[in-house]
Formats: sequence, structure tokens, C-alpha cells
Amino acid sequence: MTTGGGAGGNGSPPLVVLEHITKRFPGVLANDEVDLELRAGEVHALIGENGAGKSTLMRVLYGMYPADGGRILVRGQEIKIGSPRDAIANGIGMVHQHFVLVDPFTVTENIILGEEGGERLDVVAAQQRIAELADSYGFRVDPGAVVEELSVGEEQRVEILKALYRGVEILILDEPTAVLTPSESKDLFDNLRKLREAGRTIVFISHKLDEVMEIADRITVLRRGRVVGETPPAETSKAKLAEMMVGRPVLFRLEKPTVQIGEPVLRVQDLTGDGKLNGLSLEVRAGEILGVAGVEGNGQRELAESLIGLRTPASGTIELEGSSIAGRRVFDIRNAGVGYIPEDRHEQGLVLNMTLWENALLGRQDDAEFSGTLGVLFIKKVKELTARLIKLFDIRARSVDVAASTLSGGNQQKLILARELETDPKLLIAAQPTRGLDVGAIEFVWKQILDQKAAGRGVLLISAELDEIYALSDRIVTLYEGKITGEFPPDAPPEQIGMGMLGRAPEEAA
Amino acid sequence: MATQGLAPPIAVARTRPAWLETFAGQALALLASFAIALVAGSLLIIAYGENPIDVYTSILDASLGSADGIGYVLAIATPLIFSALAVSVCFKGGMFNIGVEGQYLVAMITAAVAELNLDFLPGPLLIPAVLIAAMLGGMIWAAVPGVLKVRTGAHEVVTTIMMNGIAVSLVGWALNGPLHYNDAPEGAFVDLRSNVFPPEGLAGDLGAKFGVTPGAHLSWLLFLAIVAAIVVWFLIRRTRLGYEARAVGSSPGSAKAGGVSIGSTQLRLFLISGALAGLVGMHLILADRGYLPLNYVVGLGFTGIAVAFLGQNNPIGIIFAAILWGILSRGEVALQISSQVPREFIIILQGLLILTVVITYQIAKRRLAARQLQRAGLAGELEDSAAPEESSGPRGPEDTGAEALEPGKRI
Amino acid sequence: MPFTDIAVAIQISFTYFTIIYLTGLGGLFSERSGIVNIGLEGLMIVGTVTGAFGVRFFTDTVGLGSVWGPLLGLLFGALCGAIFASIHAVATITFRVDHIVSGVVINLIAIGLARFLSYAFFNGQSTQSDPGGPHLARLDVPGLSSLPGGLDRAFEGLSPMVVVAALMVIPVWYSLYRTRWGLRLRSCGENPEATRSLGVSVPQYRYQGVLLSGAFAGLSGAFLAAEVIGNWREGQTLGLGFIALAALILSNWNPIRLMFFAWLFGFAVAIPLRLNDAPVISLLPEQFIRMIPYVVTIVAIAGFVGRVRPPAAAGRAYEGGGGS
Repeated sequence: MTTGGGAGGNGSPPLVVLEHITKRFPGVLANDEVDLELRAGEVHALIGENGAGKSTLMRVLYGMYPADGGRILVRGQEIKIGSPRDAIANGIGMVHQHFVLVDPFTVTENIILGEEGGERLDVVAAQQRIAELADSYGFRVDPGAVVEELSVGEEQRVEILKALYRGVEILILDEPTAVLTPSESKDLFDNLRKLREAGRTIVFISHKLDEVMEIADRITVLRRGRVVGETPPAETSKAKLAEMMVGRPVLFRLEKPTVQIGEPVLRVQDLTGDGKLNGLSLEVRAGEILGVAGVEGNGQRELAESLIGLRTPASGTIELEGSSIAGRRVFDIRNAGVGYIPEDRHEQGLVLNMTLWENALLGRQDDAEFSGTLGVLFIKKVKELTARLIKLFDIRARSVDVAASTLSGGNQQKLILARELETDPKLLIAAQPTRGLDVGAIEFVWKQILDQKAAGRGVLLISAELDEIYALSDRIVTLYEGKITGEFPPDAPPEQIGMGMLGRAPEEAA
Repeated sequence: MATQGLAPPIAVARTRPAWLETFAGQALALLASFAIALVAGSLLIIAYGENPIDVYTSILDASLGSADGIGYVLAIATPLIFSALAVSVCFKGGMFNIGVEGQYLVAMITAAVAELNLDFLPGPLLIPAVLIAAMLGGMIWAAVPGVLKVRTGAHEVVTTIMMNGIAVSLVGWALNGPLHYNDAPEGAFVDLRSNVFPPEGLAGDLGAKFGVTPGAHLSWLLFLAIVAAIVVWFLIRRTRLGYEARAVGSSPGSAKAGGVSIGSTQLRLFLISGALAGLVGMHLILADRGYLPLNYVVGLGFTGIAVAFLGQNNPIGIIFAAILWGILSRGEVALQISSQVPREFIIILQGLLILTVVITYQIAKRRLAARQLQRAGLAGELEDSAAPEESSGPRGPEDTGAEALEPGKRI
Repeated sequence: MPFTDIAVAIQISFTYFTIIYLTGLGGLFSERSGIVNIGLEGLMIVGTVTGAFGVRFFTDTVGLGSVWGPLLGLLFGALCGAIFASIHAVATITFRVDHIVSGVVINLIAIGLARFLSYAFFNGQSTQSDPGGPHLARLDVPGLSSLPGGLDRAFEGLSPMVVVAALMVIPVWYSLYRTRWGLRLRSCGENPEATRSLGVSVPQYRYQGVLLSGAFAGLSGAFLAAEVIGNWREGQTLGLGFIALAALILSNWNPIRLMFFAWLFGFAVAIPLRLNDAPVISLLPEQFIRMIPYVVTIVAIAGFVGRVRPPAAAGRAYEGGGGS
């Protein structure tokens, strides 16, 4: 077995062994007798689809969850890891997908929190130490900067430094590139290689097969809580990995219906505002799915919110079938025929405390069908509607009267989808519509979106997942720093689209 | 379509309906909190050298043991029902109306003005006019913090308390000035008050029909209060405004994305709350005194908050909670007469009760949510908990599913 | 109007500054740790009744004389405030009750508890204690109390607690921004998940924050009853706890800026007490003058609230368990 490089690899004894780790949650077996070995000086990738149990496994290792079965050995000794403090004491550190940094504090304050070295804070000395540490691994970071003002890539470096400052030898990174631009990802990989050379171990949790093939020394595949394979990249391929992840040959693409593309349903010109939108212009035509590709944080949220009326842009025009909707109320925009699948289904989609039928009503509470004089609600009608939607969209729920919080993420998303599509909107805004969903739910959502296209409606798809963009879009545009930087046909190669996501025009692709 | 097997038929009558489960859970929590409070109270009673059973029995005796007692209890409960309803209406929308105290003061002023200036109206027209004047007074006073909240985001806890302070001075000014009495005979010493209201503008004594002493001042305002509770229940549960209010109170972001106007909803809730608050003082001036005195009853606004919590912000629960409060308050008399335990003990007991109810309610809510989630988890899909915020699906041992009600706390 | 009146008004404003500032500092520690505390008024109330009792008890009954007596009495008020605040702490931290609900409950209970304690402490009187309780000797601020033109009156006859309160900014600022304890406390209020992920116990620091708020508010109440009024009377806190909350918000939760707002509101409170004859103000009916502090607070809160930034996690129930 050969590896991609590094001091470890063949022959060195395992640093950490996870033996028969089992972890249960109510109704779910997240990890089922998982075995994993980590060696010094390697980048070990842990891959699987959403729900496979990779994050859970690492959280057990990091002491955030107690294992229900199995044991952990570090350097041959069985140890109990009851909390992150224990994990760190044993040289294990973790950087989560969603950073845990204190925004108003400086980089230094964030790093020393919990390891201040005395009651009196000596910030200057700490800053010095951190600067030295960063230098030794080639990390570019300003110890005095306030975290709120850092870029995402810089924040991630701070998180990694936090772990290194505490002397960890094994660094777990959970979906580290999900929030990075391609160039930031490149920087990260350089840093990871330096760490590997220094003898550290990196556990790289990801579902992005390209990156895993590039950086990993060994790859372990999880599916439904079990290990289904472990291999170095040289002995496998993306397709084989994907198959292991899902358990069957994966359709990377669904059948796209052929539809006559019609007149523009949505026309956006020079949308500017909030510091995040900088003269954004695009167009969606009837029967078309426009895919907006881009790394999160480049104005996706602001674009979606401006279109549905949650935000008023400082300048620019938004026209729905010719009528201006910029700055109008959400109520009016919805009635004009716009549906909205929000990026964050808990903050902008469902009211978790309310029942399914109450959630199904949201957005339609003014319809004559559901409310009458003096605002009296026709609850029976709403419940009938909800029951129909549940059946149609195969939503797993005991009744229409249960709270939305009891649904799984996939079912919650289905409920939102059902509700929005029921009004047959002329334009559907779908922002990260399959985030956090498992493959079955993803396929379902994709099919619904394609059905909208088939019905001659327009869909604006905003997604950070290139797979999704490719699977659904008729045209692809890239969004970078609040502007559309390029337009591509649906079969354009990823490198070109990557350039667009970086802000470079396609012609510049070297 | 993904092959996941057939979806289970939508259960309507087959399994226990969700609301019944919630109701049972809350009732159990309520009982538990009563028990805890009573036990804690017993310890205090024993410290005074008395028998808790005796004390509690004498309290029940004084309140429920005679027609008079019941009359007093219901009379005490009447204003509290209005007050608690006012608080709960705002609470459903995620806001705290601590200003009921000031709102009913201003309402008493406007009601007094109406009584004394509209006395040309016959009885059946005068009383509704007075009540409307009272509700308008409360609404106006509630509109100020309401508008400030919607327009500037000023937190209603601070603004409503300040309005209370202003209202106290306002009443003092009114009674020293425009509403100063001038109907007292020469040389008589009268406490500072307004003129006496015309008799047809008073709320008649209901007690007489039931053998209750007129001293209890039990009036038909009680029925008005019960009707108000039913109306509020209907409003919250069965109308668009109530629905939108609950959505705003639970998840303002989702409500807004669903086309609900947050500001307009909040303002309307404040106005309705103010109108209800306005009726709180009517018992005092229409049924009890027949004029607006300077030594009016204070604290009804704050007590209303306590009653609202006891009744778990549910209009029907509020009626019972108000009666319970009335029983305890009436118990003060019993203690004074027949016990070593000071009457202030009742206040402690009431305080303990609020505390235990609020805590057990919280515990019950989380337990219930956890159980619902667990049951749903068996039918749900396996999902990875990639993000710490993701509360859908199973998360970790700390997570119990449904988030706690988070009324807008951002100041 | 003569300068002396303004000077006396300023002197009174220092007194109310002390009350508002101390209470506000209490709120600062609590909210910085992430627990919203609107029960400051209730905590003050507990401080008033226990402080009034304490100063008498330690001065007369225990016989510690006129320095240690009042001092221990004030500290007793602070201690009782902290104990009472533990209710809020347990409710919000352990049982995760909504912070504002718990704060309201604190305020409700305090009123009743004060009556009960008064009954127990003051011979069955439940709404006030005997006037003329002992207090600390008044002092004149050196230097400033020899100002000409009547202004000297502003700095004469102050309770030493005024100076203590003003100087309090130093240890408070230092502990919050220059110690490990302060760093951890603030991180609990900004991002408890981050704090916990580093092995620091969020509940522990939050408990400390809330108990401190009780101690400071209790001290402030004791000061009001013992040093300012001279006895305990029901309702004597007059909404000052909420005014302190407003001052805290406007100061953007900063102990130095809080001094300014505490003084500003303290002056607003002093106006009806001393400046009734001032130009413009004298045109108002007496009762309207008494509304001034409340109106000032509302205007300030409504006008400036958009520009403040509370600790990011204040008010959110923290779902994590204990720390390490």
C-alpha cells in the first residue's frame, strides 16, 4: 500500500484506533461497530453521504458524544474521552463545519480562551506566541485582528491554530472546504501538507470526491453507519467511491425534460445593496432552470431575500413578468406568483413550534379559501390541504397535528416544497434546496424542481453544490462578490465554472 | 420518486391526538407545581407552629365555604381575568406587556371622564360608552410602547414600565385638577377622588341574586370577563390575526418570509392588549366604589402577569388561575382571623406558586417535545447532524427537539 | 435661579447616579455572561428591605457603631440580593426558563417577599420601617467642595458610597477586560458554544454573573433605603431598576459609558426633587414634573436603541450541558 506522501504511511503503528464504535440516537443507529485506524503523518479522508455517520464518529472521538459501544485507543492505551477537554489532552482536536469563534474577540483572545495561562491576561505575550506558531506552519494570520472582520478562510485558520496551540497531533476537519473559495481551498491544502510533513495526522471529512482524491493518503467510506471500504486513492476512482457511498450506481444526472423556453419570467438589473450585492444582473425564462453557482457568502442570501421581499435593495430593478417587484412587500410578491425555498428552513421556512397544518398555511393565510370575514380561519380546509400534500410528497408524519419540529430535515424540506409548489408559482426561488438531506430526499427535491420546469415555470436555483447545479440547470451563472461573473452552458467543464466562482472571466482561464 | 415504502396513512383518530397529550402533560405539570408549592408553604407554616392542614382548610373555608366567600373570590378574580388576558395576548406574539398597570390607570381616567360627561345618556347606553372609553384609554396608553417597538425597536419591557410611572402621576394630576370632586357637602372631609358617578352608570350588584353580601361587589363584569376570555381564545386559535401572532411569536423570520407583517401584527396585539387592560379597573370604579379614588388598587397589572403564567397563557386556564388567585387572596382574611401565621404568608405562597409553575411548565414542555421527537424518529430517516444548529432529526443527548419559545428578546 | 439649587440638584443626582450605576453594573455582569436580567428592580427591592434591617441590626442590636454597622448592613443587603438572584440563576441556567419570564417572576416575588420580610423584621409592619435609620457619615469631596458660587454644595454631604460607586468602574473594567475570568465570562455571553467547545463551563460563569447582579443590585437597594431615604418603604425603588436597565442598554453594556448614562438619568430623577422652580420646568404642573425621569428614559431608549449591540448570545437558552 503506497501513500501520497508524508512521514507516516506504511509501517508506522497506528496513533489512534477506534474499535467497534457504536452510537445510537433516538430511532437511529448512527455508528454501527465502526473500526478506524489513524496513523501519524497522514491525511485520512472519511467520506460518505449526509447521514452516513462520519461527523458523529468524529464527535465521539472528540468527546462530544459518549459512545454506546466500542473503545478508543491512543498509542495503544485504551482511554475514556468524556469531553473535548479530554480529547485535547490526548492530542485530538477538531474544527467543525460551522466555526465556533467569538466574533467580537481578537484572533488571540479566541485562541487563548480556556488556556489563558494565568488569571492576569498577558495579551502581548500571547500574540507573540501565536505569531510564531502560525509562522512555523506557514499560516497567514494577524493575531490582533478582530474575528468579525476576517474572511472565511482566515477564520478557518484561526480554528486550526486553536487546536495547534493546544498541542494536538490529530486534527479533525469537518467539511472544511464547504465554505471556501477554490483559492482558499488551495491554501488550506498547502497548509495541510505542511502539517502532514511535520508528522501530524489530519482526518478530512468530506463528500467532495475530487478533493479527497487529491489530498488523502487513505480513504475510509461510511454508509448508513458502517464502514464499507478503506483504500488509498491510487487504488480507486471517483465513480467507485461514489458507488460505495451510496450502495448502488449513482445517477449523477436525472433526465432533464425538453421544454420550450419562453419569455423572461424574472429580470434583475444592477441589483446593489447591503455591501453584498454589487450590480447583479440576471434573467430567468419560463421553462428554464437558471443555476447560480458560487461559494456561500458572495451574496446568495441577499439575492434570494431581495427577490422575495425580505430585503429592499439600495438600487437596481427586479421585474416579474414585466412588473417591478423590487422593494415590495413579501405578501405582494408572493401573490404575484413567487415561491421561496429558503436556505435556512428553520429561520425562514417553518415555524417549528407549530403544527404541520399551520405551517402549510403559511403564505396562504389570506387566501379566500382559507380565511373569511373577520379573519376567521377555515381550519378544516387547511387540514385537508395538508393531508393531501403529505400524501403527495410522501412526507413521513403521524398526523397533520404534530409539530413541525418532529419531522426529519428531509421531511421538513418536503413540506416547504409542497407548500410553495402548491401555489404553482411563476418563479420558484430555490436556495440550497437539498442542504443536509440524504440521497433519497435529494432525488425527490430535484425531481420536483424539474417538474416545475416541465410545467413551463421558471426556477432560480442558488446552490453551492456543483453537482446540483449540473444536474438541474439549463444555464449556469457564477456569483462572486455580489456580481454575476460569467455565464456557462450546462455542460461547461468545472474548471471554467470554478474560475467564474473566483471572479475571473472565462476567457482568462489559463 | 424514491422508494421508501408506503407512507403510513394519516392518523387522525387512531393515535392519541397531539393536543390531548399536551393538555395532559401540562395538567400534570400544574398539579406537580401546586404540590411542591403547598409542601414548601407547609414548611413555613410549621415554622410558625401551626398545622398546615388547618391553615389550608381555613383558607378553603373562607373562600369556598360560603356563598359570601365565593362571591368575594369571583369579585377578586374579575379584574385579574382581564389583566391576565391582556398580558397573554401580547405574549402570544412574543412580547411582554408589563404596562397593564399603567394602561388600566389611564383607562380609569377616561372612563371617569365619560361617566361624568356623558351622563345625559340613558343607562343602557351610558355603560357601554364608559366601557368603550376605558378600552380606548388603555389602547392609547398601550399604543405608545407599541409604536415605539415597531418603529424603533425599543424594548417594550422598559418602555411599558416607564409608561406605568407616567400614568401614576397622570392620575394624581387628574384628580387634583380636572377630575377633582366638587360634589361633596360643605365642610365634609373627603379623600381625594373624582365626583361620584351617576347610578345608572354603575355595574349592578350581581351577588344579591345569589345570596352574596353586597360587600363583595360581585357584578356582571364577571360575565364580561368570561366572555372576553372566550373571545380571546377564539381570536388566538381561530383567526388570521391570532395565527399570525403566534407565528411571529414563535419564528419571526419564517413568519415574515410567509408574508406576515411583523410590525402590523405586533401593533394590533398591543392595541388589543391595551383594550383588555382598560377593563381591569372597571371593577373598582364601577362595581366597588362608584367613583375614581386616589387610593385606587395598585398591582392589578403585575398580578395579571402572575395569573397569566399560572394559567399558562391560555384563556380558559386564565379563568381558573384567576379564581385560584382569588381563593388565595381571600385566604388572607382567614389567616388574619384564625391563625398565628401572618397574612403575608399568602404572598409567599403565591410567589412560590408562580415560580414552581414556570419551572415545571418548562420541564414539561421539553419532556413532551423529546417524546414526540423520539416517536417521530422511529418513522423518520437517518440523517447526519452536520451543523450544530440543525435541529431536525436526532442530534445529541443535549437536544430535546422543539426549541424553547423564544419571544423577541433582542433589545 | 440661584446656583445653589442647581448645585443641590447635582448633589442629588450623584446619589441617584450611585443607585443607577450600581444596579446597572449588576445587570452588566449578568447580561455579559448571557443571562438577560430584567429582575433588577426586584433584586433592588430585596436589597432595600434587608438593607434597612441590616443597618439597624448591625448598628444597634449588635452594637458595631456607626461605621461598621451601616457598612455591614449594606453588605447584608448585597448578600441577600445575591441569594435572591440565585432563583433567577437556577430558573434560567438550570431549567432554561425564558430569561424575561424569569425576570418578571423575580419582580413579582420580590414585592411579596419584601412585605413578608418587613413583617418579620419590623415588628409586624409590612409596608414600611421606622424612619431615621443609621447611615454612614457624610463626607465632602476634598477640593471640589470648596468651589465658589454655590457649586460647592454639589460635592458636600455625600455618602461615601457615592465615591465607592464612582471608583467601582476601575475594578469592574479591569476584571472584565484584563483577567482570564472576564474573558471567559464575556465569551459565555457572546458565543457559549465556542466557550464550551474549549472546555470552559458556561453554567459556572453564568451563575457567577447572575449572583453578582444580585449583589450589586442588592447593594444599590440597601443604599437607597439606608443611606438615601433612611428607612424602608414599599415601592421606594420607583422603577429605578428599569431605569438602570435602560442606562445599561444605552451604554452598550460598557462600564465606562454606563457611568455617563447613570448620571444622566440620575439627574433626570433629581429634577422633580429639586428643580421644580427652574425656568420652563416650573411651567408644568407638579405631577408632570414627576414624569420627567420616565419620559427622558423613554425618549433615550427609543432614540438610540438602534445603535447598540447586546452580547450576541444574551437571552438565548443555551442547550449545552455542563463544561469539561
